[in-house]
Amino acid sequence: MKGIDLDVWPGELTVVLGANGSGKSTLLRCAVRLLEPDSGSVVLCGSELVGARGRELRESRRKAAMVFQQVLLVRRRSAIENVAYGALGELPLHRSFSRRVFPTELAERAHASLGRVGLAHAAWKRADTLSGGQAQRVAIARALCQQAQIVLADEPVASLDPRAAEEVLVLLGEISRVEGLAVLVVLHQPDLAFKYADRIVGMVSGNVVFDAPPNAVDRERVDLLYGEGA
Amino acid sequence: MTEVAAGRPDVGTLVAPRPLRRRAAEVAGILALFALLGYAWHDTGASVLELVHGFGNTERLIRRAMPPNGSVLRDSIRGSILTFNTALLGTAAALVLSLLLTPFAARNITPHRFAYEASRFVIGVLRAVPEFVFALIFLVAVGITPYSIVLAIGAHTIGVLGKLFAEAVEDMDMGPVDALRAAGAGRMQVFLHAVVPGIAATLMALTLYRLDTNVRGALYLGAFGGGGLGFMLFNSMQLFQYQQATTELAVLLVLLLVVERVSLVVRQRIL
Repeated sequence: MKGIDLDVWPGELTVVLGANGSGKSTLLRCAVRLLEPDSGSVVLCGSELVGARGRELRESRRKAAMVFQQVLLVRRRSAIENVAYGALGELPLHRSFSRRVFPTELAERAHASLGRVGLAHAAWKRADTLSGGQAQRVAIARALCQQAQIVLADEPVASLDPRAAEEVLVLLGEISRVEGLAVLVVLHQPDLAFKYADRIVGMVSGNVVFDAPPNAVDRERVDLLYGEGA
Repeated sequence: MTEVAAGRPDVGTLVAPRPLRRRAAEVAGILALFALLGYAWHDTGASVLELVHGFGNTERLIRRAMPPNGSVLRDSIRGSILTFNTALLGTAAALVLSLLLTPFAARNITPHRFAYEASRFVIGVLRAVPEFVFALIFLVAVGITPYSIVLAIGAHTIGVLGKLFAEAVEDMDMGPVDALRAAGAGRMQVFLHAVVPGIAATLMALTLYRLDTNVRGALYLGAFGGGGLGFMLFNSMQLFQYQQATTELAVLLVLLLVVERVSLVVRQRIL
């Protein structure tokens, strides 16, 4: 992956399209340094992430929330606890030993976040009993509870049925517009991208080949990303 | 070599073509295994005739062991409880100590390579030394009491559980760990909220299974003089008190079946 220069802005839902192996997931994982970029810089809300260590790195990571392709919830914990885990990083160690010592303020925020994604009724359900769509919404609630300024979603609808997929994208769109977050979503579904994105970025083998609002993107160029007719 | 060189595969077989040298090595390996088994047969004095002959002795033994001697029933039950307590205490101590080793001994979460190697070394040594050898050492150190058996079982079990726990952590789904790390959680927070819930049930099940094994261990180590049901049974056999031995065996069987059953049911419930 090289020469990527991508800025995302608050209140904007940006969709990244590209074939498998074009570097989309790598881009997101580098953005929170789950992967180490070989060179270059990642700036999150004014702070540089590359080279940051320990406390500094953790503080920066808190500004970005990840939503993963496989919904990465702690399976044996309740939905509401998983939501609260988004805010673990801001707690001192002695307040985070167990869910019983989490601050009340955090519990309230977690419940509000879960309500925001329409799952207030499922707060006490264990994560591994939720449906795929519900679980992904819990992951989004976790991102909200984290109070991040940017949400990075790596193929969040890949394992969902079409209806659940639309629900998740509607939700991500609302989050960007209503809460004023910058949302970056990696997708494999051009149709969903055209329907929900404020901006579409196309990637081929680690390079950005176009970057424009949906109405300015030619459908044929999108098909070319996936090698159709090439 | 010809079939290897042939361009088209032989459609009459499902066996991939192999070079002659590979096949020769396989045949040699199988022959060597049989030679080794033959040597073991000779070395241990194994004999089908002896086995058949032995059935007669066994039959006489069983006749002399009937009916069971009920007068030792109370002592047998008391002994079986002591044997169980020995295993329980040894396993519990080992559980705590191996839990302390686990965060260092699992490759995917260890804070440092040196910590990993050091903890794996400790675990490896404790696991390699049999309970029997630990028992001999502790019998000298703390005297001939059940407590020495507790220590022997504990020491060996730290090695066994340490290895199993570390492997459970290494096989764990790292997804939640990544998710919490990405949200900015610290190392200890990630361990408490992503690692522990992921493996707690597995650790519980492994410990229960080990408790089951350790009851058997406590039984035969007890025969050294550590006390408990194993010691009683060993003495009865030595003194030709076969009718007492029958009672003790019956109690032993009940103890083993109960422990195994309870551990199985609990394991199925939590997994």
